[in-house]
Amino acid sequence: MTKTRPFLKSILFTLLFILIGLPFIPLILSSVSFGWQWPNILPESFSFRAWEYVLLGSSGTWQAVSVSLLIAFIVTAVNILLAVPAANALVRYPLRGKWLLEAMLFAPIVIPPFVAVMGIHLTFLRLGLTETVFGVVLAHLSPTLPYMVRAVMISYNTLSIDWEDQARMLGAGSLSRFRHVVLPHLLPGIAAGASLSILISLSQYLITFIIGSGQVVTLPILLFPFISGGDPAIASAYSLLFAGIAILTLIGMDAALKKYYQNKKAGAENG
Amino acid sequence: MWQKTKPYLLLLPAVGTIVLLFFGGLFDGLLKSLGYFPAIGETRFELTAYTDLLRSSEFWESLFLTLRVAALSSVIAGVLGAAVAISLYLLNESAKSGTTQVWHRLFQLPLTIPHLVGGYIIVLLFMQSGFLSKILATIGFIDEIPDFPVLVNDPFGWGIILTYAWKEAPFVSLMIYPVLSRIHRSWRDVSRVFGAGNWSFIREIVLPVMLPAWTIATFIVFVFTFSAFEVPFLLGVTYPSMLPVYSYQLYTSGTLADRPEALAVNILLAILTILLGLVVYYFSKRWNVLKGWD
Amino acid sequence: MSSLRIINIEKQYQQTQRKSDPAFSLQPVGLTINEGEFFSLLGPSGCGKTTLLKLVAGLLQADNGEIWVGDANITAVPPEDRRFAMVFQQSLLFPHMTVEDNVAFGLKMQKVGKKQRLADAREMLEHVGLKGFGLRFPDELSGGQQQRVALARALVANPQVLLMDEPFSALDPSLREEMRELLSRIQKQFRVTVLFVTHDREEAFQLSDRIGVMSEGTLLQVGKARDLYERPESRKVASFLGLKNSVEGIVAAGRFISADRSFDFPVEETIERGPCHLILRPEVVQLKILKEDPLEDSIQLSGVIQQLRFNYGFYTGTIQVGIYLLDCSFTSQQAEGLVVGQEIDVLVNKKDLWFVA
Repeated sequence: MTKTRPFLKSILFTLLFILIGLPFIPLILSSVSFGWQWPNILPESFSFRAWEYVLLGSSGTWQAVSVSLLIAFIVTAVNILLAVPAANALVRYPLRGKWLLEAMLFAPIVIPPFVAVMGIHLTFLRLGLTETVFGVVLAHLSPTLPYMVRAVMISYNTLSIDWEDQARMLGAGSLSRFRHVVLPHLLPGIAAGASLSILISLSQYLITFIIGSGQVVTLPILLFPFISGGDPAIASAYSLLFAGIAILTLIGMDAALKKYYQNKKAGAENG
Repeated sequence: MWQKTKPYLLLLPAVGTIVLLFFGGLFDGLLKSLGYFPAIGETRFELTAYTDLLRSSEFWESLFLTLRVAALSSVIAGVLGAAVAISLYLLNESAKSGTTQVWHRLFQLPLTIPHLVGGYIIVLLFMQSGFLSKILATIGFIDEIPDFPVLVNDPFGWGIILTYAWKEAPFVSLMIYPVLSRIHRSWRDVSRVFGAGNWSFIREIVLPVMLPAWTIATFIVFVFTFSAFEVPFLLGVTYPSMLPVYSYQLYTSGTLADRPEALAVNILLAILTILLGLVVYYFSKRWNVLKGWD
Repeated sequence: MSSLRIINIEKQYQQTQRKSDPAFSLQPVGLTINEGEFFSLLGPSGCGKTTLLKLVAGLLQADNGEIWVGDANITAVPPEDRRFAMVFQQSLLFPHMTVEDNVAFGLKMQKVGKKQRLADAREMLEHVGLKGFGLRFPDELSGGQQQRVALARALVANPQVLLMDEPFSALDPSLREEMRELLSRIQKQFRVTVLFVTHDREEAFQLSDRIGVMSEGTLLQVGKARDLYERPESRKVASFLGLKNSVEGIVAAGRFISADRSFDFPVEETIERGPCHLILRPEVVQLKILKEDPLEDSIQLSGVIQQLRFNYGFYTGTIQVGIYLLDCSFTSQQAEGLVVGQEIDVLVNKKDLWFVA
């Protein structure tokens, strides 16, 4: 085994470089380049012009970031409210036609949601839901909800009814049981589902474009003209910002969850 | 009575939302694809959108391209993902769990990158004057920009294939790693007793064990790529285009007459993905991929 | 007095879709458990004892029957309002709360102020021997410690009845012994009424004031440990209490005659006539001292020693009498002169003969 490790490590490092390292190099270089002629491996000169434009200029970046996050968080909050009772029912109760209900809830994973959005577009138009954040939120629900349901179901699967029975025997009514026993157990699952939900909502382009009709400007909508033939430096800067926000949101969720448990611990230790 | 209806009431909000927003949309689209559109006075059902579509060569070329791109992306993603998962598994066997965790996280990075950004990364890397082309020119491998093959916005769809292979490889590895981690350490010892080295251990034990999960994961990537829009929209060509893009082009072409045809493409796309989804479901149940063994 | 009365509680389970869960029914059970009493339900797994416990707890709805505590009918009261407590097989400590918060949980539900409930929790932890463990989290405790916390949590709110569902069966045997002693001591100290479910007869015998033996959804017999052991009312009870020496026969014309006629002796007139089983406890079968005449009040049996096993300070012998194999106990001294295959005579005092239908 000792002989295989260096060999293994070199394979992994090669894979890591090709898959994770290399792809980001031109993106980063391009975002700080000031002219980059073929066949130079490095740009001729560097400048933060693109970043200045993206972060400070009147480019509407922060407006788009806040609209994107607002939509993602509303969608996720609604998903949690819908998914927790649904997962509870699917995991814990004997249901007639359970397979059908599950198939319906998970269908948007398989069937591309833009199919439904294009279908409902004219109806939304008539109801005045197009060009509104509310309409976009509605459109983002079906691609994200199945993942949330799935994640919460996994959590419910590992929660034995004995825990609630125990809390009952200690005098906890149904609200107290949910708050003190069920919710803490579901929290990691909810966080996992929320991460997915936020990520999926953040990266929607087509359905946001159809329902928002270009009036609801999220990051992907703002980004698209640049990456499909605009200024490469600005496109790169936007891409990095977009990817960074997605990753930061995920890391943030993770950290918040960890902190929640640490606080519990620390709070207990301080008395 | 309350006990009997309670679970259905708990499901009502979620199922209601999906039915209204998703199946409602599908149904709305289906009606309009059949020419039923009371708002503009059309109340008859007709199959013209479908017959026109099935007669046009554009549709068939688009379908063929879609199948080819989906197949190639999923196979490449599958091979890459398997390589990553096996390497990580072997590393985990010989190292502390903490290190493997870090490696794991790093390899999952592409999963969190939005599709459009992933597409743009491929553009910068693979376009004719892109980063790879620059490297090859600097080391003297090529002399002019046209010497580098057209891999982005090309009729074959290489740019799309590369993007999905890159983005979905971590997904495949994420799906099969748990299966690999259930290979008992003792099996390794047993195989060593019988004289199996690293490679024969991989060939005789690791590959057969992961095959069902690998097949399912790769197939999921196939279904996903089949119906994806953003990346083909960015990296494809106008003609032939992948089905979702073809539908979008028809939908936004401006003439109201093309809309039923666009929606008909969507309905066919939905039916195909449902069939593919059922295949995945059937085999994952049959091979027990999602449950595993103890 | 707030005794716990169970009046004709009944529960039917339909055969579910899964073939592995057969239909099960709990026959009507009537039982009164006195205040401060330690009562055990003893029976093999699947006999319905846990079902009965959950019915008493209110976690299951009974089809029929009532449950009373003192003068109050609590059949319709939901479990959280019954002021009962329950300890399960698993400790079920809430993993995100400290030991202290776990113990104080019941008081929190009763809206007791934070200071008061934490003080009570700490005091109770002291009683179960876990002083100073309050700020730890459950996963930092051993299995035995966790179960002590569970016990403290159950007792801290001063429950009317403490229900326990095989609370020690997941622990190591040595730990189990320690926990029984702790439970016994605390139960007497707090004079709490306990309804305890177990399949371990040693545990039931050691802890209980009274025991109810259950089998296949029926409460067979209720009594003190010794009464059950010496006077079981049925063969099922006898066999569950480990009384394996059972001889099938018939009582007629003042005599008991076994099916193979190897047992044939006069019995008292009070014994009911008809087919019956003779139950012989191992310790009442005495080795006959050589050449001594049968005593007036004993019966004599002849058999062949099939097996002799040393067993914690005494010997267990298996003697074949006719077609029956009887277990009996010998002291080491008695066993010294015996070998397998030897023919011996044994005596049983007539007052130790016990007949069941």
